[in-house]
Amino acid sequence: MVAGAVVGDDTFPLIVGVVLLLLGAGILFVARLPQVKVARPYGEPRKRMILGAGVLVAYWVILPYLGYTGSTALVSTGLFRAMGGYRWPLALLLGGVTTGLLYLMFRVWLLQPLPTGLLGF
Amino acid sequence: MDVLGYLASGFAAALTPTNLLMAVLGSLLGTFVGVLPGLGPTAAIAILFPLTAVLAPVPAIIMLAGIYYGAMYGGSTTAILLNIPGEVASVPTCLDGYPMAQQGRGGVALGISAIGSFFAGTLGVVGLTFFAPFLADQALRFGPPEYFGLMVLAFTVIASLSAGSLAKGFAMAFLGYFISLIGLGPSTAEPRFTFDWAPLMSGVDLIALVVGLYAISEVFIGLEESRVAITQKIRNVFPRLADLREAFPAILRGTGIGFFLGLLPGCAPGVTVFMAYDAEKKLSKHPERFGKGAIEGVASPEAANNATSSAGFIPLLALGIPASAPLAVLLGGLLVYGLQPGPLLFQKNADFVWTVIASLYVGNVILLVLNLPLIGMWVWLTRIPYGILGPVILLLAFIGAYSVRNSMFDVGVSLVCGAFGFFLRRYQWPLAPLLLAFILGPLLEKYLIQSLSMSGGSPLIFFQRGISLALLVGAALLLLTSLVLVRYTSRRVKEETAEELAL
Repeated sequence: MVAGAVVGDDTFPLIVGVVLLLLGAGILFVARLPQVKVARPYGEPRKRMILGAGVLVAYWVILPYLGYTGSTALVSTGLFRAMGGYRWPLALLLGGVTTGLLYLMFRVWLLQPLPTGLLGF
Repeated sequence: MDVLGYLASGFAAALTPTNLLMAVLGSLLGTFVGVLPGLGPTAAIAILFPLTAVLAPVPAIIMLAGIYYGAMYGGSTTAILLNIPGEVASVPTCLDGYPMAQQGRGGVALGISAIGSFFAGTLGVVGLTFFAPFLADQALRFGPPEYFGLMVLAFTVIASLSAGSLAKGFAMAFLGYFISLIGLGPSTAEPRFTFDWAPLMSGVDLIALVVGLYAISEVFIGLEESRVAITQKIRNVFPRLADLREAFPAILRGTGIGFFLGLLPGCAPGVTVFMAYDAEKKLSKHPERFGKGAIEGVASPEAANNATSSAGFIPLLALGIPASAPLAVLLGGLLVYGLQPGPLLFQKNADFVWTVIASLYVGNVILLVLNLPLIGMWVWLTRIPYGILGPVILLLAFIGAYSVRNSMFDVGVSLVCGAFGFFLRRYQWPLAPLLLAFILGPLLEKYLIQSLSMSGGSPLIFFQRGISLALLVGAALLLLTSLVLVRYTSRRVKEETAEELAL
């Protein structure tokens, strides 16, 4: 808060914080939330979810180093294999086509810079 | 210049090749995503939002509006042919649309849905054309306390976006306000909740948040569900004259209900479609036909859905209040382009507003002209396996989140939000209040600080000025109305689908 001012950048966070505390307490001790039964994913869907999430995180890690072309080709192949269960040759083909189409869309049509990585492309 | 003059100049801009192309592209892309079973307008806008973020404001908003309309149309297709509503607003369409499809009249149901949507959507835009400038004129006398009142009024929308639990809705909304606080403070540029970490200084990007919450989480939710494709052949989508005669009064009534209720901030299409369907059933001489393939049961809710969606643009553009989750994303889009919806938008950015309004007319025509003949293609597209669609959506979301600010931090935010959104959706914590509050938070804070500075810190200023007081009282009344409407809709959704409400 600026000296002499009655309100400032800390006013709204204070209000939000107090209300969040009150809402949290209300939900814990007073409100009766509707019972939600959630079945945990199992079997094949769970495997696809975990693999898909893992590949995405790996993409986030390798993209700045490998650049768009290399990392997207690798990751899209991995995603088609992990989430779609396609055989490697088909996953590789789908991955290559997707990488090319996304490049055309973002780099050629929308003129967006994409990460080039250590390889320069 | 009068309204018609502005509209004519809007048409001149909307019909330029670039803008027309964006309207066509938006409608087609929106229909494509909307027609995929389980994906609704919010997911469609979220997935395609980054693509529009790099365009100029006018074509970008035209494309977003096209995506919104297109996705709603696509949602009706899966509701009628597969009995799968993309969002709650398509549930009543399933009730009679699916039995019609089973009787071999799926094409007619789709045709009536498209004609009803076109009619209601166009009438809704006519209302927007004449009503929104009037509303904006009234609001020109607004100062910071009145704008604060308006933001509180917008907050009442949360009641109808809370998926049946107000406590959860409010908690999510305040979490959204909290996330909007991250970054530099508006008055002193003091860092808030950044933990001295440079990437957090510029705050959380809206597109990264939307992409994560709605697009990435949607793909993982979709992996759990078994997907089905439309296998039946659609022969004739053009209804007979007798069908039209039967459906037309229902379309008119649905349009009226949808439009006038849609003017209320907080009255989402999910609410009005059930009211239109129930009203039609009550007025019918043969209510026993409903649920067994009555054409009015498709015509009325489809018209109400589109009328409400069009009417929703009135509070959105004139007051800056979105009535539903997709409109909240559209509001975010406007803010991303530096355009603040509200009374001044009509004064400061008249060209922009009228081009967008004209493009809504154009979008409605495009949907009618393109989608009916293309129904075979949409049906075919539902056969693309999820093992291909899922990875493509994820990659599109990932690169899209990166491309907005060329930031790997934003991609990280969307991944975190994707995981967060997945669990929130599974445990039925509504996402829309979080999104709405995240978008409106900075504005609410700005007007709060300005008002309190004017009054020397006294909150009484909000009650001492007529318009501000009226807005606050209006907000309280609307909150109560929304609660009643949501309770009614919640009960109806449960009756028809045995599921919880998620408007």
